[in-house]
Amino acid sequence: MDYVWDFGSVYEYRAALWVGLINTLRIFGICLFAGLSLGLAMGLARYSIRRWLRWPAACFIEFFRNTPVLVQIFWFYFAFPILAPFEISALMAAALGITLNSAAFSAEIFRGGIQSIDPGQWEAGRAIGMRYREIMARIILPQAVRRMMPALTNRGIEIFKMTTLASAIAYADLLHQARLIASVNFNPIEAYTVVALAFFVILYPIVRVTYVLERRMAKGD
Amino acid sequence: MYEWDFSAVLDNSDLLWQGLVGTLTITGTALAFGLPLGLLLALSRLSPSRWLAWPAGFVIEFFRTTPPLVQLFWFFFALPILMDIQMTPFLAAAITFSIQSSAFFAEVFRAGIVSIERGQWEAARAIGMQRPQAMRRIILPQAVKRMIPAFTERSIELMKTTTLVATVSYADLLYQANELAQKTFRPIEVFTVTALIYFVVIFGLSLCVQGIERRLAVSGDSTVR
Repeated sequence: MDYVWDFGSVYEYRAALWVGLINTLRIFGICLFAGLSLGLAMGLARYSIRRWLRWPAACFIEFFRNTPVLVQIFWFYFAFPILAPFEISALMAAALGITLNSAAFSAEIFRGGIQSIDPGQWEAGRAIGMRYREIMARIILPQAVRRMMPALTNRGIEIFKMTTLASAIAYADLLHQARLIASVNFNPIEAYTVVALAFFVILYPIVRVTYVLERRMAKGD
Repeated sequence: MYEWDFSAVLDNSDLLWQGLVGTLTITGTALAFGLPLGLLLALSRLSPSRWLAWPAGFVIEFFRTTPPLVQLFWFFFALPILMDIQMTPFLAAAITFSIQSSAFFAEVFRAGIVSIERGQWEAARAIGMQRPQAMRRIILPQAVKRMIPAFTERSIELMKTTTLVATVSYADLLYQANELAQKTFRPIEVFTVTALIYFVVIFGLSLCVQGIERRLAVSGDSTVR
């Protein structure tokens, strides 16, 4: 192993990596926000007493949980544009795939969290004259969200890692930029090592936070 | 209105079957290497000696917190320069997914081992067993049973992750679908059928997992997730 490491050639192209990081954060932000919101809606629908809400939500959740997210991204990038009346960019296709996939997974987290709340809380809410919506918004969700925090943070970490799949359809995220740099400079070792370390440095502190949350949860309620 | 036409897919269904076999091959290979490696990592991380526990902890955390696609690109494009080996898409995928899944399996093993009551260790020590003996004969047999649902779930996760190999042109199901879509100009039908094949296989496996979980719940063993 007498390879001479040369990170200077990567540092020279730091502007390209910076663009990639911004794009990675952009798609992550979109997918986190849209995925969790849609996930909450789906989780509530899955828990609903109305059959016409519960069944479609269940189908959606099972379908997107049981197919690989890269297949979904490819579907939205290569197949969907033929059906859709508008242009689909790589960002849109990747964001759609990752968002729907994350929505399905977080819906199950929300459902589990809501169902874990003691039925007595519902009865108490009803006893003081609250409606379903009020009970859900004011009593159940605030308690459930606290319990779901570790699982939701883990989902966020998964979403961040998933954004690299956007590079497979040539969206200029961090990994795609590294691939460009590697092909221009013939320095794949340094380029990919830098990207791997970047992900580790960004995500590891968050992973530690989930450990703390989980420990606090085990001690608390 | 778009006219659906599945004949192009049906005429070339053997391509997709080959792809599915490719997907199952890489999943099986990664499982075969990932499980023992995961057990090794878990035992090292739980070891009382620090120079075993820390490196194992680092490997586990590193491979759990970096995206698998970055790892795959690193092994495919960077490793051959460092190590003078002939890199093939299959080899890169096998290395990546073995190590990546072993990091996750290690955590499953660890959770299972930690979940066994201390009394079991103490009982083993009381009848004169050494730590490795107690681990092999008393702790692991009980822990593995509790870990089965988490294992199967992780294996399903692994199968979904193997689609990434399509990006380094290993002929898995997704790669074959992409080829077929370009050849027949029927991306909608091809990718829809592909998604359905994945769904049928993976949903079928998930149902099996749920069945196993229910049976374990009946037999009174709590399941670790």
